[in-house]
Amino acid sequence: MIGLPGQGLHWRVDALSALFLVILIPQVVAGALAGMRGSVAYWVFVAGMVLALAAGDAFTLIFGFELMSAASWLLVVQGDRRPATLYGGVAIFSGACLIPALFLQAGGLAFGLILLGAGAKAGLAPLHSWLPRAHPAPAAGVSAVMSGGMVKVALYVIIRYGFVVFGPAVQPWWGTALIAAGVAPVLIGALRAMLEVELKTMLACSTVEHVGLIAVGLGLALRAKALGDVGLAALGLQAALLCVVAHALFKPLLFIGVGAVKAATGTSSLNWLGGLMRGMPRLGGLMLAGAAGMAALPLGPGFAPEFLLLHAVLASAGGGGILARIGFTALLAALGLSAALALGAGVRLIGIGFLGRPRSLHAAAAEDIGGGTLAGMVLLAGLCVPVALLPGFVLARLAPVIILAVPGTVPPALAYAPLALALLMAVAGGAAWLVLRNAGTRREVAAWQGGFGPAPAWLPFGDPATQPSATGFAEPVWRAIGLGILGPGQVDPGEALVLAPLARINTRAARVAERIRRATVRQRLAFVFGALVAALMLLGLVQGR
Amino acid sequence: MSFLILLARVIGSFAHIALVLAAAPAVIGLVGVLRARLLGRRGPAIWQPYARLRRLLRKDVLTPETATDLFPLWPYVCMAAMVTAAALVPGFCTGLVTAPLSDVITLAGLLALARAATLLAGLETGFGFGGAGAARDLLFSVFVEASLLVLLLTFGLIAHTQTVDGIAEALRASHIGISVSLGFALAAMLAIALTETGRIPADNPAGHLELAMVHEAMLLEYSGGLLALFEYAAMLRLIVWMDLIGTIFLPFGMARAQDVLSWPGGLALWAGKLLVMAVALCLFEVSTAKMRVFRVPEFLGVAMLLGVLSSVFLFVAARIGG
Repeated sequence: MIGLPGQGLHWRVDALSALFLVILIPQVVAGALAGMRGSVAYWVFVAGMVLALAAGDAFTLIFGFELMSAASWLLVVQGDRRPATLYGGVAIFSGACLIPALFLQAGGLAFGLILLGAGAKAGLAPLHSWLPRAHPAPAAGVSAVMSGGMVKVALYVIIRYGFVVFGPAVQPWWGTALIAAGVAPVLIGALRAMLEVELKTMLACSTVEHVGLIAVGLGLALRAKALGDVGLAALGLQAALLCVVAHALFKPLLFIGVGAVKAATGTSSLNWLGGLMRGMPRLGGLMLAGAAGMAALPLGPGFAPEFLLLHAVLASAGGGGILARIGFTALLAALGLSAALALGAGVRLIGIGFLGRPRSLHAAAAEDIGGGTLAGMVLLAGLCVPVALLPGFVLARLAPVIILAVPGTVPPALAYAPLALALLMAVAGGAAWLVLRNAGTRREVAAWQGGFGPAPAWLPFGDPATQPSATGFAEPVWRAIGLGILGPGQVDPGEALVLAPLARINTRAARVAERIRRATVRQRLAFVFGALVAALMLLGLVQGR
Repeated sequence: MSFLILLARVIGSFAHIALVLAAAPAVIGLVGVLRARLLGRRGPAIWQPYARLRRLLRKDVLTPETATDLFPLWPYVCMAAMVTAAALVPGFCTGLVTAPLSDVITLAGLLALARAATLLAGLETGFGFGGAGAARDLLFSVFVEASLLVLLLTFGLIAHTQTVDGIAEALRASHIGISVSLGFALAAMLAIALTETGRIPADNPAGHLELAMVHEAMLLEYSGGLLALFEYAAMLRLIVWMDLIGTIFLPFGMARAQDVLSWPGGLALWAGKLLVMAVALCLFEVSTAKMRVFRVPEFLGVAMLLGVLSSVFLFVAARIGG
């Protein structure tokens, strides 16, 4: 029997746990199909997540959470040793914050510890910079479930405690803290996703951004709930939960797709890819669907959550104190910047990686996916369709969760109607197709290339240096924004301001310890003698009075 | 009775869409003529854009060898997104059947979709100018998106609604008068519109030097009917932004779709407003020089600041007034 002595493990599945368990299913299936079927650690990892989500008491929850952390650490070590220490450190930190918090009285301290502990695991500021290092390390199937599932379990803990368990004790500043912890990763994640060349790192940065978006939605909802505005709270929760659902579909899709790219070409660096759509049309189409979600384009799965979130921020800025309203205006500007940067990251993924000319022979010779990888990706992309085109239907399924988190609310109806927009676009596109069908003949010719002559025969795809690289494509954004936020070394502020000082303290402490360890016999004797004299003097002083 | 009202709204909506789609090339032509006259040239006829579209439709469509199968898809996506946006923004009348759809964020999303299709078209063939143009356009879009969202907050605060149609109704009904906030918002909106539609000072639509191009550089490999789609989308983008500015800042005299008798007046005023905006655009363009690419973020940064200021003024006013 596992569990506390005489207690065992308790299970309880309500609407909130059920939602998070349901979104886990497709990505776990897809991850297993993408080659993780035989890995014991993978299934232990999944079991940990299920245990944490279906837990009926705090002990079971923390047991599942730590099982998940330990198994995922093992999977990270199997992929790459370098980030494993950092990953383990963050997992221990989050456990150290969560364990006391779960057994504390409901209140500000307990929520603060939950936010620190679960936020570190989810990738909220200030502890977000480990995520782009650790998530790309394991195999693609595991990265997919880590980005799509594990961070969601951490967010589930925040929702479970912030809204349900600590519900009656909620304070407005909890929401403000959550928004503050979310907005920095939104901006930094989107910017880094635009600048990173390594595809898996890029996707992990985009995960940081989406976790931030979810946290902002949750924060708005928590703040509104504390202030008694249940309608706005429901809107914020709708945004956050729909983003959870959509992100759990398109991000695993993209991760598994990038794994397939790496398997087919031997690299996942955008600067060596290009033109993959020709050799890998099936993968290209699926990645296009995922990238549309990541870029939050209308008619894609990512737009409805973004739409709801922006409306929640607009509504929040409509009332309250003047400082709060100015803060929400700034939040709106930050969300706008990162939405456009996310669009840029999606365009860059498709435009540089899958369109254009191959930048290496490996990219030119890539063969399309098939078998389990294809099946898993088709499953995820197929489930994206209802989220993209029928978000109202999905939101209706989410209503019990929202009512559980914010009692006495009526979730508002969605003002975005993708089906009507799709109809309008289809009519316009169809009419254009009818006009163009008979207009002119279609011929394939050598590209104009700005008037350059044809490439020599030994360069079958032209000179790769004459086509913009991923780095070059991001260069204007880097110059205008990246330099200001990341500095000339392109270092994440989370790393420069949190991890680097910690590393410095560690080095200094190690130096002191080393000096003590290396002390000569004379030094040690002098220390013992000095301590004895000091103790006697102290004794004498106390006795003498 | 309600059936008749619905019928009037449906007919009004179709009339709006047909008019906007038909007038888009004429507006570009008008701007071209006016600009040439201001520069002391005779300039092309106002119908030149129609002739250009017809000529492009007759020409062969050349597909570069290095392009993928998605090469013909992007013009369709771009054009369809712009047509949808044109159907949502009210022109001569409010109360279209598409009014519930015309949420400001949906509109921003449609503009982003059209932009994404154009960027991908620029990267499609893998040639240098296309990529450079796409990278620059993306840089502009980052600042445009942020400034636009901040501005939408201002409009939402004034009108208490988030649809373009609702904003038009609210601003027409209430006599808001000349406020500092709306002045700032107008300046910011004009800066965003100039950048989005690829006019001077962000981009030069009449430029012939590939190195300095932004929007045109992405379309260099397109020809024939596919190029016509892109050019038509660019024309639609100009009229959509003019409609948007007209709806928000010049809402007087707009007809109501359910009231057929108000249509002629609305139509005449709509044509007048387009003419006024075209003249203003030309006057601005001939009196300004194109900016360096890396100056444009500063230009848009000012727009964003003005947008924030216009909201902050409203907050302060609400604090003092309420």
